[in-house]
Amino acid sequence: MTSRIEIYSPEGLRLDGRRWNEVRHFRCAINTHPVSSDGSSIIEQGNTKVICNVIGPAEPTLRSRALLDRLCISVKVIVAPFSTIERRKRPQNDSRIQEMCSSIQHVFEDAVIAHLFPRSQIDVNLYIVAQDGGVLQACINATTLALIDAGVPMYDYVCACTAGMLDREVLLDMNRIEESDMPFLTMATIGATRKVSLLQLEMKVQFDRLEPMMAAAMSGCHHIRNLMDNEVRKHGKSRRQMGSL
Amino acid sequence: MATVKRAYIEDLNKRLTLSQKVFVRSRKGKATKIVQEHYLRTDIPCSSQLCPTCALNPPMDSSGTSRPFVLSSDPPSVKSFGPHYLVPDTNIYMKAMDLLEHFAAFYDVIVLQTALDELRNLSLPLYNRLRALTRSQEKRFYVFHNEFRQETFVQRLEGETINDQNDRAIRNACVWYSVHLQEAVAGTGKSAPTILLLSDDKDNIKKAKELGIVRATLETYVKELPQADTLLDMIVVEGDEDTSGANRYSYAEYYTTSRVQGGVKEGLLHQGILNINQYNFLEGNISVAGFERPLLILGRESINRAMHGDVVVIEVLPREQWKHPSTKIVEEETVSKNDNPEDDTQENVVTAQERRVLIEEARQAQHSSAEFRVQPTAKVVGIVKRNWRSYVGHIDASSVPSDAANARRQTSVFLIPMNKCIPKIRLRTRQAMNLLGKRVLAAVDSWEPTSRYPEGHFVRTLGDIESKDAETEALLLEYDVQYHQFTQTVLDCLPKEGHNWRVPADTSDSLWNGRRDLRELLVCSIDPPGCQDIDDALHARVLPNGNFEVGVHIADVSHFVKPDTAMDTEAASRGTTVYLVDKRIDMLPVLLGTDLCSLKPYVERFAFSAIWEMTPEAEIVNTSFTKSVIRSKEAFSYEQAQLRIDDKRMNDDLTQGMRILLRLSKILKQKRMDAGALNLASPEVKVQTESETSDPMEVGVKQLYETNSLVEEFMLLANISVAAKIYEAFPQSAMLRRHAPPPVTNFEVLADQLRVCKAMTLRSDNSRALADSLDDCVDPGEPFLNTLIRILATRCMLAAEYFCSGTMTYSDFGHYGLASPIYTHWTSPIRRYADVVAHRQLAAAISYETLHPSLRDKPKLQRICQNINQRHRNAQFAGRASIEYYVGQALKTREIDAEGYVMKVFSNGFIVFVPQFGVEGPIHLRDIGNPEPPCNFDEERYTLIFRKDTEEETRLQMFDRVLVRVETVVEESTGKRKVALRLKKPLIA
Repeated sequence: MTSRIEIYSPEGLRLDGRRWNEVRHFRCAINTHPVSSDGSSIIEQGNTKVICNVIGPAEPTLRSRALLDRLCISVKVIVAPFSTIERRKRPQNDSRIQEMCSSIQHVFEDAVIAHLFPRSQIDVNLYIVAQDGGVLQACINATTLALIDAGVPMYDYVCACTAGMLDREVLLDMNRIEESDMPFLTMATIGATRKVSLLQLEMKVQFDRLEPMMAAAMSGCHHIRNLMDNEVRKHGKSRRQMGSL
Repeated sequence: MATVKRAYIEDLNKRLTLSQKVFVRSRKGKATKIVQEHYLRTDIPCSSQLCPTCALNPPMDSSGTSRPFVLSSDPPSVKSFGPHYLVPDTNIYMKAMDLLEHFAAFYDVIVLQTALDELRNLSLPLYNRLRALTRSQEKRFYVFHNEFRQETFVQRLEGETINDQNDRAIRNACVWYSVHLQEAVAGTGKSAPTILLLSDDKDNIKKAKELGIVRATLETYVKELPQADTLLDMIVVEGDEDTSGANRYSYAEYYTTSRVQGGVKEGLLHQGILNINQYNFLEGNISVAGFERPLLILGRESINRAMHGDVVVIEVLPREQWKHPSTKIVEEETVSKNDNPEDDTQENVVTAQERRVLIEEARQAQHSSAEFRVQPTAKVVGIVKRNWRSYVGHIDASSVPSDAANARRQTSVFLIPMNKCIPKIRLRTRQAMNLLGKRVLAAVDSWEPTSRYPEGHFVRTLGDIESKDAETEALLLEYDVQYHQFTQTVLDCLPKEGHNWRVPADTSDSLWNGRRDLRELLVCSIDPPGCQDIDDALHARVLPNGNFEVGVHIADVSHFVKPDTAMDTEAASRGTTVYLVDKRIDMLPVLLGTDLCSLKPYVERFAFSAIWEMTPEAEIVNTSFTKSVIRSKEAFSYEQAQLRIDDKRMNDDLTQGMRILLRLSKILKQKRMDAGALNLASPEVKVQTESETSDPMEVGVKQLYETNSLVEEFMLLANISVAAKIYEAFPQSAMLRRHAPPPVTNFEVLADQLRVCKAMTLRSDNSRALADSLDDCVDPGEPFLNTLIRILATRCMLAAEYFCSGTMTYSDFGHYGLASPIYTHWTSPIRRYADVVAHRQLAAAISYETLHPSLRDKPKLQRICQNINQRHRNAQFAGRASIEYYVGQALKTREIDAEGYVMKVFSNGFIVFVPQFGVEGPIHLRDIGNPEPPCNFDEERYTLIFRKDTEEETRLQMFDRVLVRVETVVEESTGKRKVALRLKKPLIA
């Protein structure tokens, strides 16, 4: 109340001029690194920027990891030291990053049609270039696009979005300042359905407030799915015109 | 912080444009670049009721409602500008918030986001006041987020300062508004209101002129208004820029922020809250961590412009400057009587007279052999937070120039605040003559090092001095009691049925869910006579097994006041009901307080009951809490209840129940006393007022009956039981009350006084020892002495406070005075907010309802505690001040001789306490004889020996009984009618 910044003004405007239900500026591109990987993408959600490279499906590097009936996904998240306001080098085995890797891995092992590729592996490398809140959602969205680019068969887009709760107000797609000030959840849905493949909430929230947050996050996911779908179709169209398909 | 806004514009959602806000933040000497998104939009409405386009597409919030348009289609008009909307600049908010809040003017104001943000960085309190204005519907203030609207957003230009950029943004917004409104009314035949830019910044005005914006300075605008004279006085005076070089700094400058912060960190400087001694305005003390006893701050130079209650940073002075606390009564009035408010440049800060006072004290300090009395002294070197608020006082008649009556020019006058801890405030006013003899509210604006007194401005008059309304309002303002009417939004939270609300007859109604039907119990309430807000009722009956069932039933306020409603917020901010002699300032609207919640007799009421099963020895077998419905059988006053219990002929069940209660309460009290509970005393008197005119008639000491203690014991028991229960259920967030044990040093002086004067010992190792030694302090010849010592002991204690259990460890929970390990307030929810919180927590603890999230929120509870602690203290002060005023009025025309006791001895006077009227006051030696009789002050024996003229020598020692003449005079320094005491003769026992 006495904070020097006002996260949500009584007039219904957030710190950056958005209203409660507006997602940040969303930009994406696929097939950005065609040489170095089988599938690649860049996602910008506001000032959060993630690059994703997908290699595979291929023979697993470690034979022991291979699964007999399905493919396995190995996720690596690399956080650039310059991605935060204060430059800081992060060790690879930072527990938060490990946790993020494992959530992304679980989400996508269920989203790709895994039984088509027994004994093979997909490597997902995520490079977080800039952070301004909603890193996990950007990583999931980037992975979806890169997997599509790599031609891995999936049931539908996996699209993620965050939603937070300030007093009684739901806020969609939080930036860094908002994230540090209120409880928020990250949700990923399978396409524009009500199937939730990831729901992550690390702070305490009053139980009756969870539902409006989830509802908002879900509509955010569906909105982002449309944005990603537009980009994929646009890309497909241009590839066809160039005759590469 | 330097701001650069770089924009790369791109379309998003076809509505938003994106810009980046880039700025450099420096922290710990490192500069970091911060990039934030900044979305520009076109859907921010102008909020004028004239505009049809903005109204087409109003923005919705998450619940799907849109805000109504604020700015009226028919704004107020003044001669030179016609109908207009005001757009004030930031500096206007900074200096004229009182004006903006004034009911007579300043309607239809467009508050620009630029100015609002700037204001928040400059002053949070002012920002909060402005936000409150934008919420009020009458004033029609609209916050226009100009920086988020595409058309009014401005980029920072190269080489432009932030201030310039902000000014430009404000001008831009003005231009946009004018054009926008012109378009809005085009074709309707109406004329658009003028957009009037209000600024005192010369540069801004000049540039506005180039752009053709209609503009005015605050002064020129206010002069156009109907109540110009009153309003003009409320403008904050700016420091005179034209003072010549002869003007030298008279106070020491404060240290720089970095030096202060560094010093505090290294432990060289200390931070604390300054308290000014109410008997000596030149002496303050400050408790800081690391020092057992408070540090002294002596003299105007050391106090260095700090005021009572400010959070200050101090530096300890070298040892040779240590002194012992003053033994003199020093009033500002007598020392600095002749200061001239107009003339400031030539004076030294410390006048010769003040110096004399200080030197005399220093001399005494050297004489003093008692080593422990010399205390470290300190000086103020920085101010962390000002505690400035509005002060009530009166204009010093001697400071008003004689020609003020006919001249309309501004004159400087002094306002003498009612609170003696506050220095005189210099005001500039055009209506000095009209203000004489009035209670005046003024605000402090600044205190420059060059100025001996703080500068302030006039806010409003409350009425004539000594008129009942003005004095009551003055003390409400002085103690920050919120006494305004409840707003409509609060009243909307009340049950629709109003006074016709009834407990549903049908017990299957949903309101009966979880409630026990206790209507058949013989419940009665015992309260002071004429009590309307009955919080509590009691019952007792014999159980078949020979034990007793005892019930305490408390008004179920939390049924009517739900969390997070307007009524709840209002109650939380009021914190407590304030009782004045002739007036009650309610915490809850009257409908609830005196009717729907009040446990009135013969009607059914919702209650929250605590029910114990007790053995005849008052051992608790079993405790239960339940929401219930009761029907009180009778509402007694203490006296009536006592008579009924004592009346041998009454043998009905109700009376029997009351006798059981009385018997049990006596056992409970004994147990409490055995555990070390203190029996403290405070000077309590009652003012009887004439029923029609409420003029004070008689002053008497409150009479206590056994039934007083009956009710008290069971309330304590209920509170302790509830405290244990809610702490068990919510160890992190229970609302509790604690009374910390006072530091042993607090009792040093009193113990020494008792040892020297009465050869009595006072032990203060723990509450038990203190209670016992207080019991032993009895002088058969002086029956009142024990009470007097108890009063003095009470003043050595710390104040009890509310706290949230998660903020302390269990060992700190104890209540020293009650000798209970845990305590809360639960029994008076109608008049205390803490009890409402405890009710909600208890209801959740017994699974009656779910706990509202705000009651789990530790920081929020802490804020509530802080507020109610403050309100509680202020309510007590206000109540006492009200009694003081009425005692003064009751004795106005009389002179009475009464017995009093010396309760403090100074070298030039002493303080006498008169139990009959519950008043204490100083008697100066200079009033005893003229010229001042020669005296000899024996500090170690607390004795003052003086000889008046030819009479024989008089010895007065601490605790001595004296006969005094009680009369009332209007005190010159505060304008209060006060009891004045004159010594008749000492009565040696």
